[in-house]
Amino acid sequence: MANYFNTLSLREQLAQLGKCEFMDPAAFSDGVSVLKGKKLVVIGCGSQGLNQGLNLRDSGLDVSYTLRDSAIKEQRQSWKNATDNGFTVGTYAELIPTADLVLNLTPDKQHTAVVTEVVPLMKKNACLAYSHGFNIVEEGMQIRDDITVIMVAPKCPGTEVREEYKRGFGVPTLIAVHEKNDPQGQGLAIAKAYAAGTGGHKAGVLMSSFIAEVKSDLMGEQTILCGMLQTGSLLCFDKMVAQGIAPGYASKLVQYGWETVTEALKYGGVTNMLDRLSNPAKIKAFDLAAELKDIMRPLYHKHMDDIMSGAFSSGMMQDWANDDVSLLGWRKETGESAFENATNTDEEIKEQEYFDHGILMVAMVKAGVELAYETMTAAGIKAESAYYESLHETPLIANTIARKKLFEMNSTISDTAEYGCYLYNHACLPLLADFMAGMNTDVIGHGLSLQDTGVDNQRLIEVNAALRSHSVEIIGQTLRGYMSAMKKIV
Amino acid sequence: MDTICVQQCTAKFNADFSLDAITWNIEPGQCWVILGANGSGKSALGALLAGEGEIQSGSLTGLPGRVSIVSLEAQAKLIQAERDKDDSDITDVVFAGTLVEEMLEESCVDPALLAKLVQRFNLTPLLTRSFRHLSTGETRKLMLVQALASHPELLILDEPFEGLDVRAVEILRECLVEQNRSTALLLILNRFDEIPDFVTHMALLHQGALVQQIAANDPPAVAQLAQLLHLQTSDIRIPEMETDVNVAALAPDQPLVEIRNARIAYGDNLVFEHLNWRIEPGQHWQLSGPNGSGKTCLLNLITGDNPQCYNNDIFVFGYQRGQGESIWDIKQHIGYVSSGLQWDYRVSVSVLNVILSGFYDSIGLYQTASDRQQEIARQWLGLLGMSQRAGASFQQLSFGDQRLLLIARAMVKHPPLLILDEPCLGLDDMNRQLVLALIEKVCAETDTTVVYVNHHATDRIEGIDHYLALDQRS
Repeated sequence: MANYFNTLSLREQLAQLGKCEFMDPAAFSDGVSVLKGKKLVVIGCGSQGLNQGLNLRDSGLDVSYTLRDSAIKEQRQSWKNATDNGFTVGTYAELIPTADLVLNLTPDKQHTAVVTEVVPLMKKNACLAYSHGFNIVEEGMQIRDDITVIMVAPKCPGTEVREEYKRGFGVPTLIAVHEKNDPQGQGLAIAKAYAAGTGGHKAGVLMSSFIAEVKSDLMGEQTILCGMLQTGSLLCFDKMVAQGIAPGYASKLVQYGWETVTEALKYGGVTNMLDRLSNPAKIKAFDLAAELKDIMRPLYHKHMDDIMSGAFSSGMMQDWANDDVSLLGWRKETGESAFENATNTDEEIKEQEYFDHGILMVAMVKAGVELAYETMTAAGIKAESAYYESLHETPLIANTIARKKLFEMNSTISDTAEYGCYLYNHACLPLLADFMAGMNTDVIGHGLSLQDTGVDNQRLIEVNAALRSHSVEIIGQTLRGYMSAMKKIV
Repeated sequence: MDTICVQQCTAKFNADFSLDAITWNIEPGQCWVILGANGSGKSALGALLAGEGEIQSGSLTGLPGRVSIVSLEAQAKLIQAERDKDDSDITDVVFAGTLVEEMLEESCVDPALLAKLVQRFNLTPLLTRSFRHLSTGETRKLMLVQALASHPELLILDEPFEGLDVRAVEILRECLVEQNRSTALLLILNRFDEIPDFVTHMALLHQGALVQQIAANDPPAVAQLAQLLHLQTSDIRIPEMETDVNVAALAPDQPLVEIRNARIAYGDNLVFEHLNWRIEPGQHWQLSGPNGSGKTCLLNLITGDNPQCYNNDIFVFGYQRGQGESIWDIKQHIGYVSSGLQWDYRVSVSVLNVILSGFYDSIGLYQTASDRQQEIARQWLGLLGMSQRAGASFQQLSFGDQRLLLIARAMVKHPPLLILDEPCLGLDDMNRQLVLALIEKVCAETDTTVVYVNHHATDRIEGIDHYLALDQRS
């Protein structure tokens, strides 16, 4: 199978990368009616599979689950998940031939095997849905011509997809149609009904393409989301301990610091995150971020280039074929890091203290978000996609670190994210060695100990203007505006 | 005077009214105010201490020798007694009536004090008047002076401020302040704002039972009592329902719910099986059973919150479940409160919007509510005594206030079926009374059918006459 993206002309590549628009809620006025009375069969009953299925059924659709024979015979967790929730469970051979819509919600790594097995069983003119386009775009999976191929990707973990639905809301969702497989021109209608069935239409739907989704998703997850936070965690912890700060404090500051500072990011973008600092600290963070961006820019470019060329995915697939030797080795290494094994102090760290003592962490988040966003948009990805795959998702990963530190964070994210995270981490640690040598506890651990918090007016005006005029802030304000206009909870 | 001890005392006053298992201690020097709605038994309680009523069980001990009572009932008796003295119908001699001064002297134990009080209440001009020619307010004053001058050990004043002019109210208050050091004082009041500040304790009666006893120096308890009294005494009206709603009317001849041979199990763990339940419109049900018997599971089969509703035979509001209806088609007919809902209600939302979310069956508010809906929601806040907190954050409220709001949220759309799964769980006595009062109103005054789940036998709801008990799972 050849990398699908690489088979396209530059013109087609750019057209596909540049697809991403926020859909008018009126486009969902038909709700789920296109799928009413149709048979939906979900492959896989993990968190996304189960929770999407629960929502779709509660929206009045006919949902059942198909699992591997062995999972049924051994009554594995996936089988229990489905049967405890009152779903019909059957083998591929039993259920796939009856399906009008097959929802492939298995992990990326299994896609080739699953899809290869399932497609021959699918009835003519049925529809196959993905929630991530890696298999189609990077692995170049070819699907039978009569089959419609769509993507519906809720931009939140499965449990949240369910919780928001039960509240009467939903989570932001990305949909796409694989144009090569849209024989009846029904793809968009089916994708919209599927999104409405999960409640996504209430929180906002982005119409994108398989290619834009894959390329932006890979870039975001391996750089700012997982890579930068992992690298930053290790560097900041080691620095603090080397400077004599108690490991328990250093560990806690890092583990919960990302979550706290990116919470500010979620509400008001990079601007608000920096606005949480004192004026001298804000200017300091701004300057550090500028320095970090200069140092790391080539690394972000390399990641984007490797993703675009397919070098990243082919390298990763080689590791898959090699029993994940590299991935598992890196995972083990993460588990053995000093940060991972430090025990947190019981001492309380106040919310504001995470900002005041974590100026460098704030700078790292700013640098990572902006670099990932700038690199994506420079590569032809639309601002909306770039925003969602960088700034929007950073708090989600930060939350995982707050709950589980790095080892578990890596185990819970997708295989592609984890592999990319390690690649980034191994390149970024040495890249920042000199920079880190110049850092001190005033920017990480203790904070600025100023008698006088005065700043130069002219400089502060420059910094504020630069923060607020960045393109990720402008698109962010628009998209967050859509969200809060829909989510009228005051 | 000793402590007056009322122990589990049930006393009958007439065929229709009894005081129910009253337990209460009054210490010398305490000043109690008894509050309650009309008909709650306040006056009967005062009369009980003045020796009225027929004690059927329990005990009343420690009553002092000198008890004085001023009440409308005592006033009526006094007037009747004076009438009885009039024999003019048989003697044909015009009865001049007892003079006020004669009456006062009759009961007086302390002439000096009496003289002082007469002056203070400005009764001097009335002394030579006939009692029967006194106005209601003047009669009242006379009785008060009589009572105060008799050195009572227990003084019971039932609505003493009623019918007094402003000046007289002031004088009475002053006298009571002086009195209460040596006397146990019991004030029976209808209005919360009449409570004098020297009151040391407050009690609340509801349907013949003493449901609250609090110290007056406990401001949170006093605030709650005020809220509850407000609910019980104000002319409670369940706010109207929204007209022009898009919800299809239910067929009146169909059951609201019919569950046939239901079974819920998790793996090998059976919760219940062979369960049948049919709820007709207007049939109010109480559901009970020990912990783990599956009460909430059963209710969630109706609401659709238990996923196993899809592989059971369930007919609700005209839908056979699992045939293409959405969960919102079901929920639009249900108002629902449970602890689970309260735990789930974790969104950042204002007090008013919590009630509004009941129109949309959502947790949080995601639609723009109409002016009419806002108006109805504000009426509910008024009913709960929470109008001032419309904009407050739901998460900042006490557990009990949150629960009250969620109950209002469940009722706001006048749902055909109102499911209250242990609505009083975790509520203090005060809030429990408040919630029960609301539910009774709903049962009595609206078309809503109520399903009520509880453990506490004392939380009885008037109007519920169907019972379903689940057994402990085997």
